[in-house]
Amino acid sequence: MNYFAESLSSAFKLIISFDPDIYQVVFTSVLISITAAIIAASLAVPAGVTMALNNFRGKSFVQHLLNTLMAMPTVVIGLLLYGLFSRLGPLGHWGLLYTPTAIIIAEAILIFPIMMNLAITAVRSADPRLVPTLISLGAKPVSLTIHVIRTTRLAMLAALVTGFGRAIGEVGAAMMLGGNIEGFTRTMTTAIALETSKGEFELGLALGILLLLIAFALNFILSWLNSSND
Amino acid sequence: MTNAYQLSGIKLSYQQRLALDIPTLTIPSGKSIALLGENGAGKSSLLKLLAFTSQANEGAITLLSQPATCPLKASQRQQIGVVDQHPYLLPGTVENNIKLALKLQGVPSSQHSALTKQALEQTKTHHLAQQEVSTLSGGELKRVAIARAISYQPDILLLDEPFSHLDQHHIQLLEEFIVNFTQHANKTVIFSSHNRLQGLAMADDVINLVAGKTTASPLLNVFHGALSQHLFNTGKMQIHSTSTLRDAHHIAIDPREIIISAQPLQSSMRNSFSGRLILIAEEEESVRLIVECGERFHVLISPESLNNLNLSLGKTVCLSFKSTAVTVF
Repeated sequence: MNYFAESLSSAFKLIISFDPDIYQVVFTSVLISITAAIIAASLAVPAGVTMALNNFRGKSFVQHLLNTLMAMPTVVIGLLLYGLFSRLGPLGHWGLLYTPTAIIIAEAILIFPIMMNLAITAVRSADPRLVPTLISLGAKPVSLTIHVIRTTRLAMLAALVTGFGRAIGEVGAAMMLGGNIEGFTRTMTTAIALETSKGEFELGLALGILLLLIAFALNFILSWLNSSND
Repeated sequence: MTNAYQLSGIKLSYQQRLALDIPTLTIPSGKSIALLGENGAGKSSLLKLLAFTSQANEGAITLLSQPATCPLKASQRQQIGVVDQHPYLLPGTVENNIKLALKLQGVPSSQHSALTKQALEQTKTHHLAQQEVSTLSGGELKRVAIARAISYQPDILLLDEPFSHLDQHHIQLLEEFIVNFTQHANKTVIFSSHNRLQGLAMADDVINLVAGKTTASPLLNVFHGALSQHLFNTGKMQIHSTSTLRDAHHIAIDPREIIISAQPLQSSMRNSFSGRLILIAEEEESVRLIVECGERFHVLISPESLNNLNLSLGKTVCLSFKSTAVTVF
């Protein structure tokens, strides 16, 4: 118990003293996750809206596929991308393995189905008169998509925040593709895993507390978005 | 004169149920047309087809003499203004909504201000221009939705139940608007209503819808049942007709063709029933009676007949009408 209490107190000291090593890791993590969330959202939101607005053959199959991909273990994504990006892999010459870009790609792929599903739900739970009204006012497919996104923007922002939260807490793919290189690809989750296994419990704990704070903040933002959406 | 719409062979079903079945229908342009029918008769479904926001399973529609299909071409979309029964305005101000419509219709932005002003004036809503739509009352919301629909100057305006849930003041404003819009601007207004009187009073022409079919008969005394060898069985009573139509499930009896008497009449009329008088009401220049004799019959008589017959509520009266007064469809 004493060990835990002491670690906790030194963890707080690290946080309060603005230890540059810790904040470097936090900064890398946040930057990677924000970039991944924005890239994924810019594809997943229009894709989700388009899917919600149109009926096509195989729509229910795509929906099942999305649901399955949402539950895909992150190490599997890490594994597949590792195969693609490793020197012997088909995309090995891009030199992406053990770079932040590789982590961003992995996180974006990971959160794409979540965001697309949330975008579909956002359109479905919008006012049922929205789409017929826009069509009757002359909206064409592209302007229809833009105005549906604009009208449901809070729900779309909630999808973005959810995706960011999923990306920042992810460890498997970040470890396999980033390699946990200090000052380069070390993220909060990979650092926690490393520091703890090294016995540097207080450093891991400090990062864990910051990660929890970020998660708390995200949840507050989400519930605020959901309440303003109603 | 061109026609606003020509429909042929229209069939629309929802989950096996035939919601609309209209072999032919021509709607002239430059008039106000009332679409009358009970709830569930297919008024909204027909308006959605005319608005090209839904598509029939079978059949073809021409719009202002041009063939038209869903999704509508941009140039044709601009010819139709649509106002739902419960209109949806996008979040923002009234002016934002109207300018959005102009933008979506591809109207050059140099004309936006002038057209917005004109639409707001036509619907007497200019004082609401800067108001957030969430703060509008029900009647204001409907007028703003009409302003939005006419802002891009369509030739045809479709209004679904425009008079429902409006107070007398707003009903009057709307009636004035429809008259102005059709008579002075030579545009077509098609509005649905389950209020027969409103429809007849306002419209140049009437389309009657009963169970998804258009009929020439007025909408009173419509009964549902089955016809077999000139005898129509409603489940409560049997009514003679001259029709041999197959697959007919509805009849309508013109309320002016029904004769009321205190005693059964000795005549050639095949249909004769007795029942209790349950309503006497003034209607335009005649008197409307409702007689309960298994089914409820609406009868229109003159005020003089009312005096001569010495009718009072609860009295038993006799109804008679010829089998030729029965329209089967």
